[in-house]
Amino acid sequence: MKRDANCRWHGLEGNAKATWVVGALICCFVICGCKTAKQPDLGEPLAELTPSQKAQFREGKAVFQREFTPETGLGPLFNSVSCAECHEHPLVGGSGDEIEVHATRFVRPNSCDPLFDQGGPVIQQDATPLLRAIGVLKEQVPSRATAQGRRSTPPLFGFGLVDAIPDKTLLSHEDPYDRDLNGISGHANRAIDGRVGRFGRKAAVATLFDFNAGAFPQEQGVTTPLSPVEETINGAPVPAGTDPAADPEIKRADIDKVTDFLRFLAPPPRVCFTNSHERHQAKRGEKLFNAVNCCACHVPKMKTGPNEIRALDRKTVHLYSDLLVHDMGPSLSDICLGQAHPSEFRTELLMGLRFREHFLHDGSAPTVQEAIERHGGEAQPARDKFKALSKKDQEALLKFLDSI
Amino acid sequence: MKRLNSLITILVACALAVSVCASEVDQLKADLIGQTMGGREKSWKFQSVDQIKELVIKNKTEDAQKRVYTIALQLQAAAGADKYAAEAKVEYWKKASGWQIDHVGLLSLKKME
Repeated sequence: MKRDANCRWHGLEGNAKATWVVGALICCFVICGCKTAKQPDLGEPLAELTPSQKAQFREGKAVFQREFTPETGLGPLFNSVSCAECHEHPLVGGSGDEIEVHATRFVRPNSCDPLFDQGGPVIQQDATPLLRAIGVLKEQVPSRATAQGRRSTPPLFGFGLVDAIPDKTLLSHEDPYDRDLNGISGHANRAIDGRVGRFGRKAAVATLFDFNAGAFPQEQGVTTPLSPVEETINGAPVPAGTDPAADPEIKRADIDKVTDFLRFLAPPPRVCFTNSHERHQAKRGEKLFNAVNCCACHVPKMKTGPNEIRALDRKTVHLYSDLLVHDMGPSLSDICLGQAHPSEFRTELLMGLRFREHFLHDGSAPTVQEAIERHGGEAQPARDKFKALSKKDQEALLKFLDSI
Repeated sequence: MKRLNSLITILVACALAVSVCASEVDQLKADLIGQTMGGREKSWKFQSVDQIKELVIKNKTEDAQKRVYTIALQLQAAAGADKYAAEAKVEYWKKASGWQIDHVGLLSLKKME
């Protein structure tokens, strides 16, 4: 029988062989459980982009990678010389090992001051040689701050799709008074102008554009037409002669280009394990993820709204977040921001979790397991259920997290 | 009688000046709607005139192509929300159709007590 099959194979024409190969590959995918079509590889643009959108992606990536010097706008205070200096792992747009310091002032019960007038909430950790020469090595945590928080660099893959999710979808997940009595009471944070927030570890930023427009001045000390003056040194203007570049140091078009790059940067592809044991383990892990109620906050998917860009139009995003802020308990508590109290954090997006090397908002957990075990507040019941799982089930759940 | 006429003239001139200034402020408020200044946690998108509790023109320069206002603002997203004091630079560019707002730059921002 084997021989017959072999004979038949060798007797086939080129086209027929190709048909067999394609058919076999399709069978493999079906068996493997990979239901989706070819996903863009990590770092690639979204599928369905037009040639001009692909060109925008490439142009934006170049600005994202542009390294600034004091002569081209860096500083005088800054955290990094380019976007890509931090967002680098494992590829441009990914996470990084830098840890930032943020500081704000919280007065009970509900007053949060981001200390904009004292250099907050992002505290710049580095200074250009001209500023260092007069003794300023970095910005200090403002004296009026009640707390400071450490922030790791998040990966940005798929953020364009997250940006395209309608506000009403986020708001539909809100349950601030826990009316369904499941112990989860997430609410949307708001930007200072009242818009629904979704970006940043406290979800205090409304759009991808807003985030990028602020990242240039706050992270690189690069002024823009929308922020045409340098960040202060804890409220004091930068001394004369320490900033050789004329303001604004980049054009509005540069912010748009970086936003295009991130808008079109595809989400991380899901893993399809070829080993059947791992495949079944991950599948079981997904069921356990739902069973222990991780999915109450780490909502597996949302859908983008109508969008003039086809690649963003009514697409499913496997973000594993509700984009709301939740009380995570006193042990993780740090700063307030907007309407988020010190112990409230936006549900971390889990897509691309396997590409990270540090976990939790401050990068302090070296493993996913430790990050889960340090969940508190609203997440404590889910954490306790996870801890009560057998070792085998815990491994299955972690295997699932390693696949998304 | 002469004195009374002079007084009336002065009063009319003052009223006219105030109304011109008020209309300029109203025009600025209207033009700001839809614009975003700052970035990240310091982003402010002007969504309605109601959010602009106060607008004072601190400076105005103009040449053939560009008009630049420096303004002081008091902003509040909604009733009961935090109030912010801001300074901004508003740039207009002359187009075929007349002066058009180009962008708004955030100069300073502070949460008011």
